[in-house]
Amino acid sequence: MNAAVDSTASPLAMNSAAYAEVTEWLYREAQLLDRGDFGAWLALISKKIVYEMPTRTAVLPKQGSGFHDEFGLFADNYSSLTTRVKRLQTDQAWAEQPRSRTRHYVSNVLVDRDAEGNLHATSSILVTRLRPNRPVDLFPGERLDVLRKEDGSLKLVRRRILLDETVLESHNLSVLF
Amino acid sequence: MQTTPSAQPQGASGTRLRDSTRLQDLVSEERAHISRRVYVDPEIYELEQEQLFRRAWLFLAHESEIPASGDYVTRSLAGEPVVVVRGDDDVVRGFLNSCRHRGMALCRADKGRMSTMRCPYHGWTYSKAGKLLSVFAPNLYDSAQLRKEELGLIPVPRLQSYKGLIFGSWNPEVPELADYLGNMRFYLDLYLGRTDAGTEVVGTPQVWDVNTNWKFPTDNFTGDNFHLYSTHGFAVELGMLPPDPMSLSYGHLIRAEGGHVLHVVPGPPDPMFEYFGLPKELVPHLQRNLSAGQLELAKRYAFSVGTVFPNLSFMQVMIQGDPESPPTPFLSLRYWEPTGPTKTRVWSYLLIDKEASPEYRKASYETYVRTFGPSGIYEQDDLENWEECTRVNQGKIAQRYGLHHGMGFHLEPDRSFPGPGDAWSGSYGERTQLAFYGEWQRWLLHNAPWVRR
Repeated sequence: MNAAVDSTASPLAMNSAAYAEVTEWLYREAQLLDRGDFGAWLALISKKIVYEMPTRTAVLPKQGSGFHDEFGLFADNYSSLTTRVKRLQTDQAWAEQPRSRTRHYVSNVLVDRDAEGNLHATSSILVTRLRPNRPVDLFPGERLDVLRKEDGSLKLVRRRILLDETVLESHNLSVLF
Repeated sequence: MQTTPSAQPQGASGTRLRDSTRLQDLVSEERAHISRRVYVDPEIYELEQEQLFRRAWLFLAHESEIPASGDYVTRSLAGEPVVVVRGDDDVVRGFLNSCRHRGMALCRADKGRMSTMRCPYHGWTYSKAGKLLSVFAPNLYDSAQLRKEELGLIPVPRLQSYKGLIFGSWNPEVPELADYLGNMRFYLDLYLGRTDAGTEVVGTPQVWDVNTNWKFPTDNFTGDNFHLYSTHGFAVELGMLPPDPMSLSYGHLIRAEGGHVLHVVPGPPDPMFEYFGLPKELVPHLQRNLSAGQLELAKRYAFSVGTVFPNLSFMQVMIQGDPESPPTPFLSLRYWEPTGPTKTRVWSYLLIDKEASPEYRKASYETYVRTFGPSGIYEQDDLENWEECTRVNQGKIAQRYGLHHGMGFHLEPDRSFPGPGDAWSGSYGERTQLAFYGEWQRWLLHNAPWVRR
């Protein structure tokens, strides 16, 4: 289930134009999230988005990674992500009043292209979140993304966020990943 | 009901804090007063660990988490690590997760399947029933001194289940679980005993650590409906809550025996909200598993939130995951595990009726995870509140001033309500909170608080 890359996909060289396009997309997306421009962020998301963060259990190695296939901390589609953004745009989303100050660090980007032209990007992430009166939150993990050209521009059609934590050390997940 | 000697307050030394504050003054049901110290004070925390958590029945796991022989989960019981394991005889047992040799933790994963428990340190090995099977180099011990039959794992002395929920207690004197739950069982059965096969856990619990005292979330889950229109005001703006701020006030607050409390609230006048909004194919299950009085409540009250004393809560609600989706029911279980005076580990379970269709299961899951749990658009804000309340109440100046819990205080119980316990008409009120704190105070003060007054 952690294999975002299907068997027909082939790796893109890091000096290829397509690789550069994907990494630039990832950095611009991170910038929009960190600047709180959620409306512009939503414009990068496909209407067909599947956005998930599975729960993780600490298990013995022979039992696998401990990620749950069908249960998680996010299970969103376009409508529910839009609701999250609209919520942030009200004056009553108290978890984000004042706004969390986040930094989405994205690294270790690898991109594969499948036979249909979908771009499968895996990356390591470290999201930092600071709020008044509480310690800094760290969210290290991996993202498995699928990007596709829609009307000439890259859109995110699938994101699976694999956090390293089994017990979240944060009081909530009021930020986007 | 157990009839051990009647509950008497302990001697003077047990009724005051070190600064001579009387425990009776921390909570006053009559004055609707709660001291801020109950949420933050390390001395009170230690006292409640001793008097309450090491003596009460506490939630450990759901039976569906360990369906087969050898399946185990590692949990905490009053701050001590325990392993809960299903034996070859299908009996679920609990043990202190600690080898008798050096105290090493035996089971170190969150869950798994075992044949035996072998200590990583020196290899002492125990059966699923906790028996010491072997030690390293047995010939080097004097067999008269190494008495294996006395070196089994330390058992959780009381471990019982109710409708799939496994509870444990370190207290050999605590009454049978069914008696401890008392007439709260009438209400729990509406959620846990309504379908033939009962409920199971979907996926795994979501687990997260919050800088709050366990009593803040518990207080909220005793039946706080009136926070919705301020804490979750965004939902009105997005059209996900009716604009009438009294919309959730037309139900009842219920005080069952033993500090167990809940509220029940009717859904909008639409048949889709009957029987909690469960899929129609499950309704015949309710008709054969519930009594006439329970069925009346199930038909009318789509929403309920409540707490099994001290710290296991549940919520049965029917809401929209987003403005485009229809209201969909879910049933969630909460265990608010105290991990420090201002630290709580939250365990949130999504439960589903086992006979539910895959489609309903998916819809219920998506509705739950989008609205509640750490990322839920509602619960995010609750967590912010509980952390901030906890932080501010640590102030010594703040602590000079108590907190007022008097909403609906003047109302009389509604004797026509079809369920047991005291029920107050009007589901905005603080009667259930006061009942919870009153019971909490009884456990701090009394030798045998489980003996009903």
